[in-house]
Amino acid sequence: MIELLIAAIICVVLDLVLLVRVLNGPTAADRLCATDAVTLVTALGLAMYSLYTGRIIYLDIALVDAALGFIGTVFVSRYLEGRL
Amino acid sequence: MSMTIRVIIDILLAIGVFFTLVGVLGIIRMPDVFGRLQASTCIPSLGNIFLIAGGIVYAIATNVTEPGTYVKLAVILLMVLLTNPISGHALCKAAYKMGALPKSKMVIDDYKEDDPE
Repeated sequence: MIELLIAAIICVVLDLVLLVRVLNGPTAADRLCATDAVTLVTALGLAMYSLYTGRIIYLDIALVDAALGFIGTVFVSRYLEGRL
Repeated sequence: MSMTIRVIIDILLAIGVFFTLVGVLGIIRMPDVFGRLQASTCIPSLGNIFLIAGGIVYAIATNVTEPGTYVKLAVILLMVLLTNPISGHALCKAAYKMGALPKSKMVIDDYKEDDPE
């Protein structure tokens, strides 16, 4: 079903657009917000692509990507706050 | 797969992609950190819900994939929905503490009254 592949390609393009904010965000919080969004959009695109190809191993990678994005965001936030 | 189910999956995927696009545009175009954080909430709530819901309908309608596919999709959906408010709160507090305040004067600042330090 081609719509899943189109959704995955749109997710990849949105990732590349988000890299603009990662590159020239004025503060570190902007970059961290954009990086969090990059991990989430990557996980969604991987889920769509795994359903398109029928390889379910990509779903596990999407799950690990979302979990590591959450943990990384929380740790870097605590570091920026000055409590780590 | 019948035509009705395919149209339902298409509508769900289109709504999910639309809200993901709205979140990304908000991150690119909003003027300060708190506006960007507020706009990026579209991605893990509405975009995530509708994209993964389309995936779950697809996995149930076609039995060609492995069993347990939609369970994994539901786990991704619930985990992102439950963990994203925590990271959003931590990120917003970090942005406040490191002094990335908006250029215009804030009308109301409730966090300053409740700040223990």
